[in-house]
This record gives sequence, C-alpha cells and structure tokens, in this order.
Amino acid sequence: MRFGVKSKIWITIIGIVMIFAFFLLIFFPMQQEKYLLKNYEKEVQTLANTVALGVKIALTEQNFEGVQTAIDFVNKDKRLTFVAMIQTDSSFNEQTKKADVKKNVFKSYPETFSPDPGWISNDTMIIKWSPFSTDMMKGQIMLGFDTSEIIKSKKEIRQTSLLVCGLILLLGFLVGLWLARQISVPVLALRDAALEVGGGNRNKYVIATQTDEIGELGRAFNEMVSDLRQAEEENIKSNKNLAASNAHLEEALVELKSAQSQLIHSEKMASLGQLTAGIAHEIKNPLNFINNFAEITSELLNEASQANLTPEQRDLVNQAKDNLIKINTHGKRADSIVKNMLQHSRATAGEFQFSDINDLCNEFMHLAYHGIRATNNVFNCTLETNFDPRLRPVKVMREDLGRVILNLLNNAFYAVNEKYHRLQNENTDEAHEFRRIVTVSTQANEGNVKIRIRDNGNGIPEEIMDRIFNPFFTTKPTGSGTGLGLSLSYDIVVKGHNGNLQVESVAGRYTQFTITLPA
Amino acid sequence: MLAVITSLILFFAGFHGFAQDQNLSVISNTKGVPDDMKMEDLRSVLKGEKQRWGDGTKVVVALMKTNTPAGSSTLKKIYGMTSDELNKYWLALVFQGKAKAPAFFNSAAELQVFVEQTPGAIGIVDSPGSGNHKKITIDGKKTF
Repeated sequence: MRFGVKSKIWITIIGIVMIFAFFLLIFFPMQQEKYLLKNYEKEVQTLANTVALGVKIALTEQNFEGVQTAIDFVNKDKRLTFVAMIQTDSSFNEQTKKADVKKNVFKSYPETFSPDPGWISNDTMIIKWSPFSTDMMKGQIMLGFDTSEIIKSKKEIRQTSLLVCGLILLLGFLVGLWLARQISVPVLALRDAALEVGGGNRNKYVIATQTDEIGELGRAFNEMVSDLRQAEEENIKSNKNLAASNAHLEEALVELKSAQSQLIHSEKMASLGQLTAGIAHEIKNPLNFINNFAEITSELLNEASQANLTPEQRDLVNQAKDNLIKINTHGKRADSIVKNMLQHSRATAGEFQFSDINDLCNEFMHLAYHGIRATNNVFNCTLETNFDPRLRPVKVMREDLGRVILNLLNNAFYAVNEKYHRLQNENTDEAHEFRRIVTVSTQANEGNVKIRIRDNGNGIPEEIMDRIFNPFFTTKPTGSGTGLGLSLSYDIVVKGHNGNLQVESVAGRYTQFTITLPA
Repeated sequence: MLAVITSLILFFAGFHGFAQDQNLSVISNTKGVPDDMKMEDLRSVLKGEKQRWGDGTKVVVALMKTNTPAGSSTLKKIYGMTSDELNKYWLALVFQGKAKAPAFFNSAAELQVFVEQTPGAIGIVDSPGSGNHKKITIDGKKTF
C-alpha cells in the first residue's frame, strides 16, 4: 500500500492523538481512581483507628475527651454511612475445643442503622475495621463510608478527561491541518510543478514564501527551473547557430564542389586548349602547302586548258580543276578551323579597359542580329533588352567579351529559329502562337556584374548539359558549327576575366546563359 | 452469742460501709447552674439527660474518677452503677452523640478549677474548698 505525505501526516497525528486519548480516557483516570480510592480507604481507616484509640483511652483512663472529639468529627462527615462499636466476646467451646467468638453490635450511629458485623466493602460503601482491647471490653470500631463522593469524583475525572481528550483531538486536527498546509500542500505543489516542468513547461514555478526547509526546497526548485530554461534557451540558440553554421558549411561545400568542378573543367579546357593550339600550329603549315599548291595547280591547269587538247584531255583537265576547287574550298575551311583553334589558344591575350557593359551588349546584339540576317534574310526575331541603369563601367577585355556575347547570341538565334522550323513542320497550335524572342539583360550587384542572354528556343537536353563547354562539341549539322564557340567563350569569361559562365535550360522551353564578371 | 457476735460484725461492717461513703457536695460554675436542686434533677443532669441549664448554658459534668473515694461514692449515690458500667454508659451516650461525656479528675482541686473556669459546669466533690464557685444545695442540704 502506498501512503502519500498527507496520509502519513494524518496517520502520525491520529496515532499521537490516540495515544493521548488512551492515556487521558483510560490510563490516567484509572490511576487517579485507584489513588483516590486508596486515599479514601486510608482516610476511613485512620478515622476508625482514631475512634478505636479514643474508646480505648475512655475505657482505660476514663478520659472521654478523645473519643468525644473523634466521634464528633466522624459524625459531622457527610460521607459517613454508619459507625458502630462491635463487642467481641470469646468463650471456649468444649465440643470443638476452640474459642467461639461472638460479635455483637454494642452501639451504632445512626441509632436506626443496624450494621452487620460481617459486612465488607462494596461498590457503594467502604467499610473499615479498627480493633480495641481493654480489660473491660474487647471489640472493633466499624466505620462505613459511602462511595458516592468517590463515584462523583470518578465521574468528574472522566468528564475532565473527555473534555481534555476532545481538546487534544481538536488540537490534533488543527495541528494536522497546519502540518498539511505547511508540508503536504507545498510538497504536492512541488510534485505537480515538477511533473509539469518534466512535461515541457519551463515557466512553472512554485510559491516558496516559507522560511523553513520546505521553502528552501521550493526556492531551489524555482532556481532549477530558471537554470533549466536558461540552459534550454542557450541550447536552442546554440542549435540555431549550429544550423546556421551547417547551412554555411553546406553552402560552402556546394560552392567548393562547384569551384572544384569548375577547376577541373578549367584544367580540362586548358589542357584541351593547349592541345588544340599545338595541333592547329602543326596542321597550319601543311595546310598552307595544300592550299597554295592547289591554287598554283589550278592556275597551271587554267593555262593548260588554253592549249589544243583533245576532248578526252580537256575533260580530264576540267575534272582536275573541279577537284582542285574542292581541295581549295575544304582547305580554306580547314584553315578557318585552324585559325579558330589558334584564336582559342590566345583567348586571354587582350587588354583590359573600362567598358560600359550595357553599350557593349547593345552593340554586339545588333551586330549578331544583322550578321544572321545577312545570311538568312527571312530570319525574324524579337529582341528584348533590360539593361540595369545603375551599371558602372567595368574593366574587361572588350573585344574578347564581345566575341563571347556574339557567340551566345548566335547560338540563341539558331535555337529559336530551329524551334520555329520544328513547330512549323509539326504544324501545331503552338506553331501559330510561337514568337521567337531573345532577351539580353544586365544587372549590377555588390561586387559583380551579371549579363543574361535568354532565348525561348529548343533548350538543351539534360544529358548533354555537362558537355556543351567541351571543344568541338556541337549539336549543329556538319559545316554549320565548329564546336568551339562555347568552349572559347568559357575560356574568355573564366580564365580571361576570372568570372563565371553558367547555363540554365529547360528542354523545349528556354535556355539562359549568365556571365558573371567581378566589378 | 454467736448471733450477737455476728450481728455486731454485720453492724460494724455496715457501719464501716457507711463510714466509707463520704458526704458529697455539689459545686458549680457561677453561670447557668441553679443554687438549689432536687436529687432527681441532679441525677438527671449527671446522667446526661439534661443538656442545658435554664438560662441556656450548656451542661458540663465534672466527676472524680471512679477509683477515688469521691468517685466511688458518686457511683453509688448518683449512678448506682459499677465503674465499668459507668464507663460503658457514657461511652454509649458519647458514641451515639446523645450527650457530652463528663470530665473525670484525679483530685478535687483539679475538678474545682475546671468547674470555676467552665461556664455551666457542675461537679461532685467530697470536700468543697473555697473559690470562685457556687455550692449547690440538694434538696436544701449542702451535702448528701
């Protein structure tokens, strides 16, 4: 069985009160009654002895003063039931050979009362004997005192005990209440508060106004809750800081991975650039020989064709001339590729100068548009610009950055045109609604400048996204692109300007290149 | 002759007996006690039958102890009892609260002083001396 603090207090109080009640109601009254009765018997015995002594003196010395005084004293006592003088007469019984003792009442007071010499004490009367013996007379003084006074005294004792017991019970009840208030109530409040704090409420305090240990416990609890709340707040703050640090670290990790990726890419591009430059340099000389000798041979064949030749000979000369034309055409194309490759190798060779990026973008946007219109006069595209007027002149290699913008715009025009033709071929509703749009925008930021070139063309498929900056990678048909434009642009921006070139695209919807330059 | 002798012996014995019975006188305190009393009244007073005098004074009896000649004479002339009977008589009265016991004295002088000092006291002596007390006549006689 489990007892609470309050139960234990009440059990203790009730136990103490019961012990008090036992002593007050049973033990002490019994003791008092015992002593009272003993004293009463002693008193009656003393009176009997006094009367007996008085009788003896009266009979032996003929002095009745003592017995007179004793009898007067006894007779005045209200507790007296009777006083009797018993005369004892002894005679030898011949038959039994023993002395026969006869007791007779000589005189008694009150006269009308006739006590029996054989009486003994009972609940209502105490009877005491005191012998006397003279030559003239032998006998006993027999005193009978009633016990009404004793019974009355007993009753008073019990009533007093009951009253005191009632007071003790009341006092015990009050002490119990006081203890419950002083101990049980604060302890239970402390328990409830502890449960509430344990449940998560860190603002739960107890009232601790007492100056005793209970009060100290309450104050210690309040301090503990306060410390706990403070520690929790600090913990939350630390967690927030930790989360922020984690976020920073994750961001740094992403940036690091990006930088690592860019570094790898840069290294790769640098290696490819060097390789390309080496190859171009080595190819350029034999290519020059091919082109030059093709031209010379073509001139020789022209001269030979003016001579008298048989028709078969003329056909052969003409075929040779056609072949030479093809050799020369493809040789020049190869030369162009080699030149581009060489340009790639010296992409960062320009000089930095402060340039208005908005003007630069505007200039090369029109240059690119008119360039494509020159080769394809049916091409039509909406050009949109959103130049940031806050943009300050930035130190760049103007011609190189122009080539980058030109490359990106050429690709954008190509992409919107391809999408347009595809939609036309598919003859869908989208084909009628589709409008080719290329947007060039700039943005001034704290510490950098951004140039965005966006088209609503076919977009770049996800699977080739990581290869678009590789040299010689192109999705254009053979002869339409060398695959060096984006690679060259990447080198100019990243290696030449310490910037960044990023692409964002959704296949079939748009492509956006973002050039970030330090300002 | 024998009869004469016997008669003489009895005569002298009787004479001697009479010679032992002393004349007794009654003395009293000056307060309460009348100057003359009848023998019956005296006996009544001395037996404790009368508790107060005519003026309301409480009766106090003073007697010579029964082992004195005066006491012995008092036993015979007043009480007609033996010493033990007298003691029992007074013990019974005292025990039952009917009377106040007499004061017994060994000498007449003591008795006389007691009577003189106790209002309402009356005593029996063989030879009353002079003092501050009254000599009560019984049936007109100073002694009996």
